[in-house]
Amino acid sequence: MVPVAVYFGLFFVVPFALIVCFSFWVDSNYTVVHHWTIENYRYFASQSVYVHTMWSTLWVALASTAITLGLAFPFSYWLARYVPRGLQKLLLVLVIVPFWTSYLLRVYSWLNILGDNGLINTTLQKLGLIDQPLSLLYHRWTVVVVLVYLYFPFAALTLYSSIDRFDWDQLLAAMDLGASPVTALRRILIPQIRPGITAAVIFVLIPILGEYLAPQIVGGTDGIMIGNQIDEFQKYALYARAASLSLLVAAFIVLLLILFRRSLGTREAYGA
Amino acid sequence: MAREAGVLSGRGKAARGVLSGYGAFVYVFLFTPIVLLVLFSFNASEAGSFPITGWTLGWYRQVFGDPDIQDALRTTLKVGVQVTAISVVLGTMAAFPLVRGGLRFPAGFRVAMTLPIMIPGILIGISLLILFTNVLHVQLTQQTAVIGQSLYTTPFVLLLVAARLEGFDRNLERAASDLGANAFNRLRYIVLPLIFPAILAGALFAFTLSFDEFVITYFIIGSSNTLPIYIYTQIKYGITPEVNALAALVLVASIALLLLAFILPAGYRLVRKLTRRAAPAAA
Amino acid sequence: MSEEHTPLTRAELLKRGGVAAAGLSAFGASNALAATMRGAGAASTEGVTLAWLTWFDHFFPQQLKTTLKQTGIACHPKLAPSDSEIYTTIRTTGSQFDIAAMDALWVPYAHKSGLTESFDLNGMKAAKQLYPAARDIAIWKDGSNSMAYPNGWSTIQTYYNPKFVKTKPDSYDALLDPAYKKKIVYENSPETFVAFAGLATGAKVPYDQTLPEIARSKAWLEKLKPNILKIVDQNFETVNALKDQSAWIGLGNLGVDLRVKAAGGPPIKVAYPKEGLLGWFDGEQMVKASKHKDVFLTFMDSVESQTYWAAQNFLKNGRPMFNEAAYKLLVKWGYKKRADAFNYTKPDTIFKAHLQGPARNPQAITDAFNEVFGG
Repeated sequence: MVPVAVYFGLFFVVPFALIVCFSFWVDSNYTVVHHWTIENYRYFASQSVYVHTMWSTLWVALASTAITLGLAFPFSYWLARYVPRGLQKLLLVLVIVPFWTSYLLRVYSWLNILGDNGLINTTLQKLGLIDQPLSLLYHRWTVVVVLVYLYFPFAALTLYSSIDRFDWDQLLAAMDLGASPVTALRRILIPQIRPGITAAVIFVLIPILGEYLAPQIVGGTDGIMIGNQIDEFQKYALYARAASLSLLVAAFIVLLLILFRRSLGTREAYGA
Repeated sequence: MAREAGVLSGRGKAARGVLSGYGAFVYVFLFTPIVLLVLFSFNASEAGSFPITGWTLGWYRQVFGDPDIQDALRTTLKVGVQVTAISVVLGTMAAFPLVRGGLRFPAGFRVAMTLPIMIPGILIGISLLILFTNVLHVQLTQQTAVIGQSLYTTPFVLLLVAARLEGFDRNLERAASDLGANAFNRLRYIVLPLIFPAILAGALFAFTLSFDEFVITYFIIGSSNTLPIYIYTQIKYGITPEVNALAALVLVASIALLLLAFILPAGYRLVRKLTRRAAPAAA
Repeated sequence: MSEEHTPLTRAELLKRGGVAAAGLSAFGASNALAATMRGAGAASTEGVTLAWLTWFDHFFPQQLKTTLKQTGIACHPKLAPSDSEIYTTIRTTGSQFDIAAMDALWVPYAHKSGLTESFDLNGMKAAKQLYPAARDIAIWKDGSNSMAYPNGWSTIQTYYNPKFVKTKPDSYDALLDPAYKKKIVYENSPETFVAFAGLATGAKVPYDQTLPEIARSKAWLEKLKPNILKIVDQNFETVNALKDQSAWIGLGNLGVDLRVKAAGGPPIKVAYPKEGLLGWFDGEQMVKASKHKDVFLTFMDSVESQTYWAAQNFLKNGRPMFNEAAYKLLVKWGYKKRADAFNYTKPDTIFKAHLQGPARNPQAITDAFNEVFGG
């Protein structure tokens, strides 16, 4: 316990405290002046554009998380239940293999899939289904698609890890007792993998709230997320601004977790 | 178990068929961008996009002749291994008190340990930069990058191991204890083996996250380069196909390692089987 | 359950151990290989490795290899994104970098901040290859020394696809035409966006605007926003957007039209907005805290003397270099027309542009940008 506490204490809590201090200082001449003020927070409170961006970001994050989990669950279920044991680990690792190329390159590949001259448009045109290329890029939903792609392995792995230890005989028993397969799934499997679902939601939703590279590349001006705005500040060493905006985002996240702690079942996830 | 016994109803078979088709579709979805990426590494045109103007191996030649790339790859691997080791140890260690109690402030601990995932990576990077340069006055090196990345990866390991530990049947430990096992042996022979898949999943997660980590590393690695940083800065100036070739090579190497990892134990098992058959004859 | 899992986990362990072992041995092998490579290359008297924070278009790997052979000084370049980030990095990392690149007015700013040291430029052998105007850059002078070794320059102008853009957009206000809705791309540089707006709204020094000027620029940017398709982070995205015609107009450094053509795109024309051009010229500085200042001159001299690579630099990146000897090489190779089209022989062109430099209100500029381009 102690080494963990020391490690996190020194390398996370202390810098975090520094960042809190920074948020109350002033950016001036490409450096941070240690002059205490609430100017940064006042600024963000007074500009509706940041609140607006935060809502758009939340929308994108929720949509992405829902779709990612929706896509990952049947996959993890299939992998844990129907795939021969020996093959499971291999197929699982194959899911991660794309991660071993570069994040940036994977996102740029989507430009070649969704672009006007990309895979989808060229195929549809060759098949004669459309005359003009469809505008698939630089919309807010484009960002959702790409984020689902990027975070799918997180969700799949986490859900699999949870489903993997489930005793399938319980489903048989339930059905013997008269339950339909769907009911058996809903009332036997899902509650038992709740910690896994919660972990998956946390692994997907929260990092997405801080995303900025993917939105920048495929989102156009409509797809800007709050992470992009933090990035703009740090580019010019405006750390006081960056710190306060980041803390506001972090506070928002913690607020979300508190509000939804019951439905997320975080208690079970972390143990009582 | 139904699967093992090979007993599947007609509905079960249909479900399996549909889901298997879905599984295949998932892999197509996951790998299409990768296939495109590799495709463009052979494109003669400098722009990493359609149309394909010609085929060439020139980008691969460039990769092999570039010492900066090799340097970046080395750094990335070194950092990755260290980060994985630290996250797995710390994450697993922290999972136990979290799930099994014994903490004075479990709620606070819970929040604190997973806070690094909730803070935008930029913030972690900046705060550590300030800590190292302004407060501790140490130089930025690969080790500082390792520290920064582990902050980000450890919570993942923690959550994965905790989720698995949560559903752990304590009766197994009680039974072992009844049979005379002490705490250490219980841990070694009962608990760890059973949560091992979660630990391994965590290790894989941690290494993967580290391998591709850009935001935090960028701030605190000093004058070294990791692969993601190298790729980011190269893409900025438009020599994408060389970077595509690099990524394709890394991909091939990882797949090769993977296959090796699956073939080696199988080969090992085969050898053992053969020697076991030979042994009785010797005896 | 336990019987099922134990043999599995042992197999798992072997698999994972196999991966780890293979990975480590591969890493170990590559380490050994690297050591031999380094050993072969550094048969040198120096054995010093300089850390160089610069942009991609300042060197070629082969150029550094030649320098290593000539002088025994190795170099580890790290690519940097922007002046402000280079400035902050040098300030916070002390002696980790030995050489740092910067643009125009940033150089005297860094020097004043005590981050860099000036050096005897005209005493260098390589400097003889430079244009006289480059050897004598007023804002970089420090007595008889220079604060930076000049590299190259470019103005920022408007590139457009004549198939869709019928009237030459020779003014920034022309970009506001509603016909160009979502057809313009430019890079993610708040300071440059605000600078364009400054030129359009009559600011005195576009890169260093006063608060009222910034407010006017922000209003102009609000009008431009609907026409922006995408704010690109990487240079090549402008080229690609023009190439596949998702964008009709792109702003950028010299050479965009050539790069679009090389990528197989449609013919692109260039327009020079009449309100004035933004521009930059860059160079390499000696970091004051560096532990290898004594070899800086030897190193830079060797790198910058390689005329061949200076010429290649122009051909690859499309931006004029301050190296006059390289022009002669380009003419010999048959590229006179292209070099002249970019005003290669007239480096003083750039001194007349509105030069990139630090702002007194970076916060106000970034605020304005974020407020306009928020989601």
